[in-house]
Amino acid sequence: MRKPSNILYGVDEVPPLGVTLLSGLQHVGLMSINLIYPVLVAHAAGASAATAAAMVSLTLVALAVGVLLQANVIGPIGSGYLCQPVPTVIYLLPSLLAAKQGGLPLVFGMTMVAGLFEAGLARGLRRVRPLFPPEIAGLVVLLIGISTGLLGLRTILGTDSPDAPAHAFNVVLALVTLGIMASLNVWGSASLRMICVLVGMAVGYAIATASGQLGHGSLAKLADGSLLALPGVGHLAWSFEAGYVLPFGIAAIAATLKVVGNVTTCQRANDADWIRPDMRSISRGALADGLATVVAGALGSQGVNSATMNVGLASATGVHSRRVAYAVAGALLLLAMTPKIGLLLYLMPRPVAGAALVFASTFILVNGLQIMTSRLLDTRRTLVIGLGLLAAFAAEFFPRLLHAMLSGTQAALGSSLVVGTVVGLALNMVFRIGVRQTATLAVEPGATDAVRIADFMEAQGARWGARRDVIDRAAFNLQQSIETLASNEIANGPLEVEASFDEFNLNVRVSYDGPPLELPEKRPSNEEIMASDEGERKLAGFMLRRFADRVAATHKGGRSTVLFHFDH
Amino acid sequence: MDLKEQVVGEVTVVEVKGRVDSSTAPALGERLETLLATPSQRLVLDMRDLEYISSAGFRVLLLAARRAEQAAGRLVLCGLSGKVRQLFDLGGFLDFFAISVSRDEAVTVAR
Repeated sequence: MRKPSNILYGVDEVPPLGVTLLSGLQHVGLMSINLIYPVLVAHAAGASAATAAAMVSLTLVALAVGVLLQANVIGPIGSGYLCQPVPTVIYLLPSLLAAKQGGLPLVFGMTMVAGLFEAGLARGLRRVRPLFPPEIAGLVVLLIGISTGLLGLRTILGTDSPDAPAHAFNVVLALVTLGIMASLNVWGSASLRMICVLVGMAVGYAIATASGQLGHGSLAKLADGSLLALPGVGHLAWSFEAGYVLPFGIAAIAATLKVVGNVTTCQRANDADWIRPDMRSISRGALADGLATVVAGALGSQGVNSATMNVGLASATGVHSRRVAYAVAGALLLLAMTPKIGLLLYLMPRPVAGAALVFASTFILVNGLQIMTSRLLDTRRTLVIGLGLLAAFAAEFFPRLLHAMLSGTQAALGSSLVVGTVVGLALNMVFRIGVRQTATLAVEPGATDAVRIADFMEAQGARWGARRDVIDRAAFNLQQSIETLASNEIANGPLEVEASFDEFNLNVRVSYDGPPLELPEKRPSNEEIMASDEGERKLAGFMLRRFADRVAATHKGGRSTVLFHFDH
Repeated sequence: MDLKEQVVGEVTVVEVKGRVDSSTAPALGERLETLLATPSQRLVLDMRDLEYISSAGFRVLLLAARRAEQAAGRLVLCGLSGKVRQLFDLGGFLDFFAISVSRDEAVTVAR
């Protein structure tokens, strides 16, 4: 692992104490924004202000444990990176459902189940990958974004009914709060962008206080709260219900996919020579993330998940040191002893909370779209995404139809997120039928048609739903190898191309009559490349070797085969 | 491959479109050779519409860079897309060529 020049402190480096502490505080400031989610769950369960404050404190303890689990490598646990968890909107939706129907014990119990499910997924990440291709992952994230946005709007309007009149002041307060968040994010400096939600919420609080919406009673409650105290545990109880396994399980899948992305970002940020994700570190990271959610449930909180914004903060400041995790954990434990933080969040005006949800939902939505389009999409995958989305919208806008179809089942099964995901997963399984995993192409050396060769890989990639970056690399290797074999008259007669794919491997074989292709490990010098055709051939062979994850050139009975293997 | 030329002050900008491979690289090489035959030539290659470049294309660029250096000229590349940039990285050419993000910046660097 070689440290990139644009970072100040790599993951294994030790920054000065001041840098460590300041970085830690910045991370904690960012993480605190998401403490709003357990408070919303407490509200949904009809819990008291004291219970909400205790939930926030215990969430902070769970986060401290999660930070340490993630940053250290202990056997199969921990990515080893600064990739800390925060309460996540992913678990918010099933937690709200559970809170309304089974109270906080059901939230805590099912959160533990979800964490265990995520831990199980982490251990078998490679094996279950075909079930969750990016179009499914993107669909889940997109649906979470849509559901969160709608939840935000309902929170602002204070109603589920489209016909009910909205309170004008609430709408104005939400718009001002949202406007500040968006403005700072778009036009603010780098540091302001990172705290735009915090600033927006602070202004929202100030307006609500000045206008009397946050009344004297609320402020007195805040003033009466203890400055320092051990978190209360009187509300702790756990219950489980089979009907909630599906919504919490889907959230666990989304959480797993997100931590995979975040650990990959950390790997890339810390290694100038990064080429592809290290699945061992990712698997350990996902296990740590799942265990952090188990701890969160055990300590009486909603699920947590690796925070993309904190990974972004580390990249923005260039401080990736593991030591920062210890400062973060220490600060979180100190804050856990401050019940006023939980009280302050509990008193958050609904329009302000709604605005924060709407703001967060926009980024989740776009993230989902980006994940979906990271793969080449053919008709099958287009149908999976389109029908999955339509099913989710049907559940959202025609709830009576869905209740009639699902009569007798839990209401939790009828949420748009669950319906959309289940339809997408089912269609993905069905449409896998009949996809040929091997394709061939014959190329005449005298008439090498470069565009036809590139189109062949592109079309196959779309049919298989392969990753775009892998198909791009394979397309280059195919074009460059055929060009080298044909233009240097290495191949006598036609060339045969065979491309085969499964979810983990893409193999491209080029067979021809003639001597084997040279694939040097050492790059020829620029002088060599310029001096002769041989130098150019060596450059071609060197690039072919570097682009593939594995290459092999064999020769038998006058016929040669060059194999390019790509991990997928 | 299509080539389109434009003169910006004392800098000649050549837009390279499409594919530069063993069948098109000789034409690019000939054109660059002609342009760089003028002493102290300032040349920008705008590659924003370049779809593919093979080892044959890289060889032509290396020869052009050497020619520019010999004639006290300057060769600056710009507009590399993600895919093409990856090819430059893979071939170990990112540190060798002068590469700018935008055409304006490349023209300034070439002056």
